[in-house]
Amino acid sequence: MERSAVRKFSGGKLLKVTVRSEGGVIQEVRITGDFFVHPEDAVEEMERALRGARVTAVRGILKEGVEGGRIITIGFKLDDLISMIEGCVG
Amino acid sequence: MEWLRVIDFAVGDPFYNMAVDEAIARCVGSGRRPPTLRLYGWSPSAVSIGYFQEVLEEVDLDFCKSKGVEVVRRLTGGGAVIHTAGELTYSLIAEEGDPAVPKDIQESYARICAPIVAALRKLGVDAAFRPINDIEVQGRKVSGSAQTRRFGTVLQHGTLLLDMDFTQLSALRVNAEKLKDKGATDVRGRVTTLKEILRRDLSKERVGALVAEEFGRGFKCELVRGSASKEEKGLVPELAERYRSQEWLFRR
Repeated sequence: MERSAVRKFSGGKLLKVTVRSEGGVIQEVRITGDFFVHPEDAVEEMERALRGARVTAVRGILKEGVEGGRIITIGFKLDDLISMIEGCVG
Repeated sequence: MEWLRVIDFAVGDPFYNMAVDEAIARCVGSGRRPPTLRLYGWSPSAVSIGYFQEVLEEVDLDFCKSKGVEVVRRLTGGGAVIHTAGELTYSLIAEEGDPAVPKDIQESYARICAPIVAALRKLGVDAAFRPINDIEVQGRKVSGSAQTRRFGTVLQHGTLLLDMDFTQLSALRVNAEKLKDKGATDVRGRVTTLKEILRRDLSKERVGALVAEEFGRGFKCELVRGSASKEEKGLVPELAERYRSQEWLFRR
């Protein structure tokens, strides 16, 4: 199944998450929007790292598994992204 | 920074424009070129989309095709922007770690936008920086900026609307959610131009020179007029090709 979530945050940035999953396991995640993430490559890295992950592993992967947890997000908080992804997993 | 190379206003096509910013960043980052302020314009008109945006969500490609508006994905995050002939664009490229540019990204937006605000005030416009990355006049956006940190540099580029062809706004597919907290129902209500505010035409060369002067003052550095080096120019064709490619445009 595929589910999307869109949220707009104070400061005006928009974050959209699309998740394809099966039985609680992520097959694909796409993270798009007009936010800023530094380093930029971290977004694609997150998408790659989440492939095949169970919903219960999302938090750990995004908090520590990418760039050693040193990602800077501007326009949203990493916790927002995590809960949006978790909420999209079927 | 002790001195800042200024590349004076020139008009380029969208892919060339993005390629030149990247070529400069690649050379400034390795310390082979000094910190640089580049001023430029756009012809033909174009939509630039942020690095993380989905092109089909943001851009009316049929409209763009019928009007000859190009579409290019930027190296920087942020939102979709329509660039028309009335726009003065700047890019500021400095080595990461240059004491003139704060390490903190939010602070650095304010720092790099400050000379632009100062230039606008010199022109008699009551402008103010609005975090995260805008400059506003009476609540309406006159300038927006976006930043990336790659190649060992801070690259920030942004718009300054001297004038705008508002008929080309239809190139943007605007999410109504996005404008809600900004008290506007459409992009037209959210943006303004110097021409609207001052009721006169300004030359991009003149405003560009004023902006450069304020960068010199704000960063307490000497301005040196220059142009792209042979090495920088040499990088441009291949980079422009990448910016022009469908793979790059549709990567999201």
